[in-house]
Amino acid sequence: MNYVELHCRSAFSFLEGASVPEEMASACAEAGMPAAALLDAHGVYGAPRFHFAMKKLGLKAHIGAEIQFPVSSFQFPARTAVNRPLETGNRKLETGSRLPLLAASRTGYQNLCRLITRAKLRVSKDAEACAAEAELQEFSGGLVCLTGGENGPLALALAQGGIPAAQNVVEKLIRIYGRENVYLELQRHYARAEEERNQAAVQIARALHLPLVAANAPQYARRQQREVLDVLTCVREHTTLDQAGQCLQRNSERYVKSAAEMGRLFADLPEAVAGTVELSSRLQFTLADLGYQFPHYPVAAGESMMSFLRQRTAEGFQCRYGGAAPDLQRRARRQLERELALIEKLDLAGYFLIVWDIVRFCREQNILVQGRGSAANSAVCYALGITAVDAVGMDLLFERFLSEERGEWPDIDLDLPSGEQRERAIQYVYRRYGERGAAMTANVITYRGRLAAREIGKVLGFDGETLNRLSALAGAWEYKDPNDTLDRQFRDAGMDLRHPRMRKFLQLCLAVQDLPRHLGQHSGGMVVCQGQLDAVVPLEPASMPGRVVVQWDKEDCANLGIIKVDLLGLGMMAVLEESLQLIRDHGQQEVDLAHLPPDDPAVYAALQKADTVGMFQIESRAQMSCLPRLRPARFYDLVVQVAIIRPGPIVGKMVHPYLQRRQGREPVEYPHPALEPALARTLGVPLFQEQLLRMAMIAAGFSGGEAEELRRALGFKRSAQRMCDIEIKLRAGMERNGIPQEAQNTIVNSITSFALYGFPESHAASFALLAYASAYLKTHYPAAFTAALLNNQPMGFYSPATVVKDAQRHGLTVLPIDAIRSEWQCVLEPVSGFQFPVSNQTGSEPATGNWKPETGNSSWAVRLGLGYARGLREEAARALARARTRRPFSSIDDLALRVPELRKNELVLLAEIGALNSIPRSPSSVSGCQYPDDGQRVTGNGQRHRRDALWQVERACRRPGPLLEGVVEADTSSPLARMNAEERLVADFRGTGLTVGPHPMAYRRREMEGLGVCRAADLPRMVTGQRVRTAGCVIARQRPGTARGFLFLSVEDETGIANAILPPDLFARHRLLLISEQFLLIEGILQNQDNVVSVKAERVAPLGANSVLTQSHDFH
Amino acid sequence: MPFAAIFIPDFPVEAIVRVEPELREEAVAVVEGIPPLLQVVACNRHAREAGVAPGMTPLEAEGRLASHVSAGEWGVLQIRRRSLAQEMAAHAALLDCAGAFSPRVEDNAAAPDTVVLDLQGLDRLFGPPVKIARELVQRISEFGLAARVAIAANIETALYAARGFAGVSLIPPGQEAERLGELPVAMLLAGHGVSASRTVADKRPAEMLDTLARWGVRTFRALAALPESAVCQRLGEAGVQWQKLARGEGSRPLVPAEPPLKFEEAVEPEYPVVLLEPLAFLLNRMLEQLCARLAARALAAGEIRLRLESISDFGFGISDLSDSSQLQDFRVPQVLNPKSEIQNPKFRDYVLRFPVPMADPKVLLKLLQLELQAKPPGAPVKKIFLAAEPVPPRFTQGGLFLPAAPEPEKLAVTLARIRNIVSSFQFPVSSQTGSEPATGNWKLETGNSRVGVAELLDTHRSDAFRMRKFNTPVSRCPVSVSRKTQDTPATENGPRATGNFLTRTVLRRFRPPRPVRVKLENGCPKTVSSFEFPVSREPPTLSLQKPERLGWAAHDAPATGNGQRETGNVSVVWAAGPWQESGEWWSENPWEREVWDIAVDQSGAVALYRIFRDVIRNEWFVEASFD
Repeated sequence: MNYVELHCRSAFSFLEGASVPEEMASACAEAGMPAAALLDAHGVYGAPRFHFAMKKLGLKAHIGAEIQFPVSSFQFPARTAVNRPLETGNRKLETGSRLPLLAASRTGYQNLCRLITRAKLRVSKDAEACAAEAELQEFSGGLVCLTGGENGPLALALAQGGIPAAQNVVEKLIRIYGRENVYLELQRHYARAEEERNQAAVQIARALHLPLVAANAPQYARRQQREVLDVLTCVREHTTLDQAGQCLQRNSERYVKSAAEMGRLFADLPEAVAGTVELSSRLQFTLADLGYQFPHYPVAAGESMMSFLRQRTAEGFQCRYGGAAPDLQRRARRQLERELALIEKLDLAGYFLIVWDIVRFCREQNILVQGRGSAANSAVCYALGITAVDAVGMDLLFERFLSEERGEWPDIDLDLPSGEQRERAIQYVYRRYGERGAAMTANVITYRGRLAAREIGKVLGFDGETLNRLSALAGAWEYKDPNDTLDRQFRDAGMDLRHPRMRKFLQLCLAVQDLPRHLGQHSGGMVVCQGQLDAVVPLEPASMPGRVVVQWDKEDCANLGIIKVDLLGLGMMAVLEESLQLIRDHGQQEVDLAHLPPDDPAVYAALQKADTVGMFQIESRAQMSCLPRLRPARFYDLVVQVAIIRPGPIVGKMVHPYLQRRQGREPVEYPHPALEPALARTLGVPLFQEQLLRMAMIAAGFSGGEAEELRRALGFKRSAQRMCDIEIKLRAGMERNGIPQEAQNTIVNSITSFALYGFPESHAASFALLAYASAYLKTHYPAAFTAALLNNQPMGFYSPATVVKDAQRHGLTVLPIDAIRSEWQCVLEPVSGFQFPVSNQTGSEPATGNWKPETGNSSWAVRLGLGYARGLREEAARALARARTRRPFSSIDDLALRVPELRKNELVLLAEIGALNSIPRSPSSVSGCQYPDDGQRVTGNGQRHRRDALWQVERACRRPGPLLEGVVEADTSSPLARMNAEERLVADFRGTGLTVGPHPMAYRRREMEGLGVCRAADLPRMVTGQRVRTAGCVIARQRPGTARGFLFLSVEDETGIANAILPPDLFARHRLLLISEQFLLIEGILQNQDNVVSVKAERVAPLGANSVLTQSHDFH
Repeated sequence: MPFAAIFIPDFPVEAIVRVEPELREEAVAVVEGIPPLLQVVACNRHAREAGVAPGMTPLEAEGRLASHVSAGEWGVLQIRRRSLAQEMAAHAALLDCAGAFSPRVEDNAAAPDTVVLDLQGLDRLFGPPVKIARELVQRISEFGLAARVAIAANIETALYAARGFAGVSLIPPGQEAERLGELPVAMLLAGHGVSASRTVADKRPAEMLDTLARWGVRTFRALAALPESAVCQRLGEAGVQWQKLARGEGSRPLVPAEPPLKFEEAVEPEYPVVLLEPLAFLLNRMLEQLCARLAARALAAGEIRLRLESISDFGFGISDLSDSSQLQDFRVPQVLNPKSEIQNPKFRDYVLRFPVPMADPKVLLKLLQLELQAKPPGAPVKKIFLAAEPVPPRFTQGGLFLPAAPEPEKLAVTLARIRNIVSSFQFPVSSQTGSEPATGNWKLETGNSRVGVAELLDTHRSDAFRMRKFNTPVSRCPVSVSRKTQDTPATENGPRATGNFLTRTVLRRFRPPRPVRVKLENGCPKTVSSFEFPVSREPPTLSLQKPERLGWAAHDAPATGNGQRETGNVSVVWAAGPWQESGEWWSENPWEREVWDIAVDQSGAVALYRIFRDVIRNEWFVEASFD
């Protein structure tokens, strides 16, 4: 007997299913089914994955969904003795029920998508969407309807009015979907209430001459996954397992059952099992027949999209290559022709024009935009202004972007400044293609480490403290050494894994890994569609107002051939844009990013010294340790620099040979002389994906498309068989080209070991442009760049505290938050009068490095914005700024009175961080406290200190009552002692997360000298092999997977950053110390290789009590 | 200099070390919580020096001790569960000790580690204050506790000094501010007496401490130095009060602890009592005395505790001790030494809690007699201790609109009788509490857990319920009750009330389910071993007519010998099932059942039963019969 499961639910029913679609498909295959249907709740979220998984197994995937509709949709007759309600055992039926619908044809699928979209878009993101009866009627074509299980309409009707009501409902369904499209569904899970329902269903089916279908409605693939489903149920119901009661499953029968099992279950009703096969044969629709069309770009009459594109490309050619050398012009023209011919052939003109249109909009609106990724391999993209990398000039491989063989859509990613500007671009796309024509791609949030630990802990009834410990456990280091057993991790966290509940916790955490939790929104992927997107995939509202998301993520969209444009928010783009604005606003010159001096010596000098804190992509510890060896001297070196510190080159062992060759310590060699053109610019070492493709093309005679196929085969999920096939093909090609065996081995090794993590050259070039721009701005306009960097946090590798210290070490003045000067954002102020060079306070010489003062007549300081006061609301801060523009504050009392938006805790915060120090005292109460505090300028008698401000704030906040409301009291002198340096430091870090005063280590320098601790700035002058001690605040901890268990620590003191490398055994011995201590002393052997200085640690120790709360960037 | 304050540092640890003195030189941590989620709540000096701190888990604390450089000094960490009973006992000892010195002792229940004494006029008895202080330390050490004692002119100063300074402290009048000056302001939160703490609690003391910390005011001295009016402007009256305390200007009066209301009687008969009747005679006399004393103070008994001490040669059965709830609930009479006797098997305790206060010795005697009949002492009694928990007497006047309810005393006696009857059965039953619901975990039940109001549990296990304590129903809103009764449709009142058109099959559960042997054929029950019914009534029968359909899996079991009973077995005529049920897989007591509804042939009639197989233990039971 054959059987088709027509009512599977996967984990994409979000907390109502416990297996991913692939598991369901695999279980269906094991059960011997020829096909199966996935009916997730309220959508087709899991349909693409189910479709491809079934396709891979040679099975047919039917698509459908369960649609929620309210109880009021059906009018039930009054209860009588005859229509005795049945016990359903289901509490949910009180609110509504779920109608299972199957798509029989493409029309049916489109109707289903529209029905879901209509219901979803009517309510907010988290509300439950219900379809109205009229909508069921409107979108009924091509759909087959089942009567459902315990949540279905039949169960609802039976519960409300017994068999007569149920018959009414079925008759209504017949009126909506047609007699031939309604099936009475029978489910048997060994439950009494269900059996009573089944008997009623059989009775109705016989009365109305309707067919029966059996279904097990599995919610998980294997029997043992019932536990996971119970856990997810508790998460959904916000309860614990102990309290969930009958919300949990009655038994473990909702797994995928075979035809034999179903046959046994329905031995009395074999026609119900046979009915599934018959119904399956009627369901012709699969996702292969999606009917997606990319929108056309509107062009004038008499013009085609292609001719329009050619025109725009020609204009772009003049702009980009008009002044270029004749040879480059010739090559560019040839390449453009080649690309345009292929675009025409593949009918992609519309796509290019749509992207061009978005870019054009951004340019018109002064929004920085730049294409990244493989699009930068295209000369047409360069000509259209989509990318900023000259693909012809850099000799980039077009096939990496687009080839005829692949038969898939090209992928263009656009980088935009994160925040408001990107939102404007997104809204433009919505406007342009209509609400139903464009949407964001989804991002499926899955259960991972901390989320899993926290939710499962809650479900098991653990208290908050234990939950914190357990979820902290889940934030594991990237590298796992053999001693990092779970048992040990639990023991370290004070948990006993021998306890049964703890063991169950662990087991469940592992079981829920990667299960979908809920749907989020992808950061930038947009899909657009000719006609109506809601007929291709259901749309639903995102949590952000005005946004609509599709139910599939970008991978699913790509797999189904839905074209997408990624509008990605890039923090650095926002920094660049804001920097340019600040430079412009403060009377300095206009800087055009497109025309920066290409080989600025100051920029390269900074890069060669690894003086790169805050610069895009080249600021990490690993990048900094490479820069002095690579010593970039031109733009292409920067492209290499961006690409070289990646898992691909590191795992493929390419970094060391390249650096050796670059420094002339190793001869430049090629695996075969024929490969020289492909590898010459990277000194014979393949560093980019394009080079691998070229190697395959040259050595084995692959076409461009074949080579790209090869890269894909090696990437993502590699299988041994596939690798083997590729190797055979490669070797055969190389054999044909007469390449010797040894060279073949080298080439195959290079390709197979590298392809997985390689970086495309075009992408590296796009990023290198941004890196260069950020380096240029930091070098020449440090105040504007630093202010913009601080305004766009969090981003990059370092915390704001480190950015500020780095800026100060370069001579930039950073002024503290001041209630009478600071805006919400950080701003620039002209420097005059009092200066606050950090180096003077620490006793060291100013470390100005290569920084020059800002171009112009005056130099600028950065004034920290009120946004850095932790806990101050933006609304209150803006009210403060507004109030002071009307009239300066005469006292703290005056401030409290005139800015009622400021709450007491906010005023206290401002006082504590010294932001109220500049508010003058009332002349009548000037006391003797007139000392400068925190480096602020002293102006007249009005100066106060932080405690003084705190003293006044406390009184100002106690409102005197209606009688004296509005009376500004005179300040009284404060009896409190001023904060000492350490107290100010602690207050700064607590209130703002950074300090503009001396570094915490500066206060302990004398103590450190007593301990023989060297300053970070002194380390480069010391001899390799010397035993040294260094100490500071830990700003980064890394334990990368490629480093075999070594831990990299960056510690900062008042003179700079020192790097330490800790061997695995040292880490194992001092694990807790290394993870939790903020200030460390490290002793070890100094290593200075090519000006890359690090300490190979042998001992570590905590620096003792320090209440400064610093931040470290960990686990990256 | 009239006040002395006694303070016991690390009180939860001290309370334990007091009864285990060998721990005094060890590193000890006291933990609290439900395993596995235990946390250290207190530790002694040795443990603290090794890095152990409150908030750690036991594993963390052990690890900290093990990794400490001086680990060898203390060996392993001694971990003990927190014992409130021992803390209460330690506190009682502290009070006893203080009471031996002064008639005026303040007992702050919120701070069991602290006691204050009024020393006014004691110098003539005990000598100068310093001598009294030393004497106190000495006397308390005899109770097994290490104390700090401070003497000062006012209570608060004495309290802060006791908490802040080790050993004995004497604060002469006028030197309070000077001596307390270095104490941290955080101490203002702890250690002051009843009245002060109430004031401070009103003023959000944590917030005030935070403000003081921001001001850089860290010590009593710094707080004392601030101008008073400015403090008042900023921190209000509470701030001023704190400031006074910091200056050592406390002025609150001592709140002497009232003598505890103890109503205890003890009798030591000349010969051990063997029979219940003479025991009841003695009890009657004791109860009369007790009730007279209660009546003299216008009180009644909310609870009666009886302790019988048997002669040591006789022990009690193990089942008596298994009822741990009795032991836990028993509040030790003050006349007994809790450490030595509470777990001694020669004592037998009885606790009677009443739904309403009672003061009638006859009723009380009747109740005690019933209790003793249900649980006889089991050995000759040589001592009888009787204690009553005093409560205000019952409000006797009923409401005008209240329906007549049974006399509470009579109801209590009736309930006790019922309890007496049901507890006479000592067969094993499945646990009916939510905490141990597995069928497999049987335990002996006593009458108490079988009397009350049954309440169904929210679980798929159909027989799960728990017994809620029975309280005398007192309706405060008779009008709404009657309305509810009127409005409730007849159909909602159960199948009996709706007999005009609806008849439901009634399930009668056997509690506990009766074990049976079941023979299967093709996975379907074929025969069931016959079993005794727990009650005398006959099982319900139907005429021998197979229903047209019963359940989806109705299997026609072949009746052996034309429905004739095999030896000891009955044939299953037909069966419906199996219904699968399982749950509590996350606990230590998971359960899984395969349930069948069967009809058996009994002398030409069909009787319907529900049987189930405990899948985990692979055992069959009859769960219920159908009417």
